[in-house]
Amino acid sequence: MIKAEPKTILNFLANYYDSLKDIFDLQKEFGHIRKERLQAIFDDRNEHILQQLIDYKIIRKLGDDYEFRDTYFKLFEFILNEFRPLLPETIQKYERSIGTLFKKIRDGIHGDKLILGQRINDLHGEVKEFSEAVEKNTIRLLAETRELKSNVDKLDYKEKVRKASFWIDYYITPLNNILDINHSESITNKLFDISNYVNIRRLNFDDEMLRLQFEKMYVFLVQTNDDLLKQAKLLTNELLPLIERIRTESIILTGWIEFLKAPYRAPLPKIFKVERQYPYSNDMYLNAKEYVQQFGKDETIILEDPKASSDKWVFNKDLYKEKMLQQLPLESFFDWCGLTLKSEYENIETDKLFALTALLFEDGISIEVDTNKERSLIKTSQMVLRVPKIKINRYGIS
Amino acid sequence: MEFPRHHKEIVNDLMGGKFILATDQKFISLKDNAAFYVKFFKESFGYELELKTDYGFILSYETGEQLSRDICLFFAILCYELDKDGKNFLEEIQYAEFEHEKIDEYFENSSYADIILNNNQLKSGESRRDFIRTMSRRNITERNGDTRFSFTPAYKVFVDFAADFAKGKVAEENNEG
Repeated sequence: MIKAEPKTILNFLANYYDSLKDIFDLQKEFGHIRKERLQAIFDDRNEHILQQLIDYKIIRKLGDDYEFRDTYFKLFEFILNEFRPLLPETIQKYERSIGTLFKKIRDGIHGDKLILGQRINDLHGEVKEFSEAVEKNTIRLLAETRELKSNVDKLDYKEKVRKASFWIDYYITPLNNILDINHSESITNKLFDISNYVNIRRLNFDDEMLRLQFEKMYVFLVQTNDDLLKQAKLLTNELLPLIERIRTESIILTGWIEFLKAPYRAPLPKIFKVERQYPYSNDMYLNAKEYVQQFGKDETIILEDPKASSDKWVFNKDLYKEKMLQQLPLESFFDWCGLTLKSEYENIETDKLFALTALLFEDGISIEVDTNKERSLIKTSQMVLRVPKIKINRYGIS
Repeated sequence: MEFPRHHKEIVNDLMGGKFILATDQKFISLKDNAAFYVKFFKESFGYELELKTDYGFILSYETGEQLSRDICLFFAILCYELDKDGKNFLEEIQYAEFEHEKIDEYFENSSYADIILNNNQLKSGESRRDFIRTMSRRNITERNGDTRFSFTPAYKVFVDFAADFAKGKVAEENNEG
């Protein structure tokens, strides 16, 4: 039982990542973690986290020393894309387990359905583990061979060839044999047979549940075969010709290989960045998206007739224009508006007053404003307005 | 006040992020008036002008420019794949004409698939063609018809960058060792 919430452990991993990475490196290099070295890591960073490491089951005691637990080791390998190379004989074990499970499936095809289903699941798991092991090994071998090609350590040619021969003899050639479909030891060959068998069963097996399981297994095997083919191609094109490839060396290629290790953290040549001015806003895309999304939801919309509002005032421009023209010339337009409205309604509403100002833009009148004259006050039901005195005459001779 | 010949085009090209190449008649005017242009770009915009024997360009303030990173990735993977193919990659970049189809073959079979598929400019044949067009607009590549292109001397900026990057790494390694 782990004495912490999963989130607490994940936060711990994030907070103490640097120390954990150092501990991971020790485990990777020596296969265990000496207590003195562990203490040195804690002292360096002033992070004394031994108890948490043990409580969260990240490391465990091994005699006087410690070791990284496999689950966390694999997590670190995965996030750092740094895998320990598996000897091909370790990968070869999958040939046996996959072969045994396949034989049992074939022999027990008419036997207990529950066990058959379980065996298909287990076979799925074994093939997946095998394929992942091959992929991890290829990643590691690629990293090792690029390291040799880059040669930042400045090894001499003889040493480079010795290293390359080591990788080829013990890792690359045997892995190639495992993947080479024409080779007798090849697991790929076995997977090909399984895939053929599963293909028939997914079409004609009488139990529907198992038929679906065979179907799933078939799809998975087709994809795995594609993946393995890719790995095999990398081995033949890039890894097997390693000796030939390390003959040449170039500082430029070293630079590119090192750059490609972490291209998003590397410095860059400062070529000019053009500042573009767009006629639309940078947020245009998001605004448009938001706008479209509003209509994406198919909500039920109910339309109701609005209640007829009996007291809604409609501005009858012709009527008021007629009234105004009859009373021209006006000394003060706004005073006239006030008086007119007051004579018709009890109070002067601001809206109505403003509506009447539209009359100023009508044809047939001329307007005179003396800005120096004192403004007059008009009290509406909502506010008091200070308005200029606007004199209105009939246009032309009045 | 008199300005050097082609002044407007020189400023337009450089401010548009283009490399001015020695094969371009503007280059002579840029080179002959180097002192003026270095001062002009510094005083007017605060930019540094980089003038080499066969090309000139202005430097960005920014150190994390996306286009620059994509070009480096393109060169890095292309050089790696050319070398893997047994070619002298530097000679190829200097003198050879590339077919888009061959570039596709290199990128599609590269072991750097993760980087390629995660980069919008490099992930497909079509995006790579667009990207090469972008580099042509900057005079880094020269398009020879619809199917072929070659590199202009501006490639040296990136190759020099790689060599400097390697020297930095070797020095780092020596310090650690």
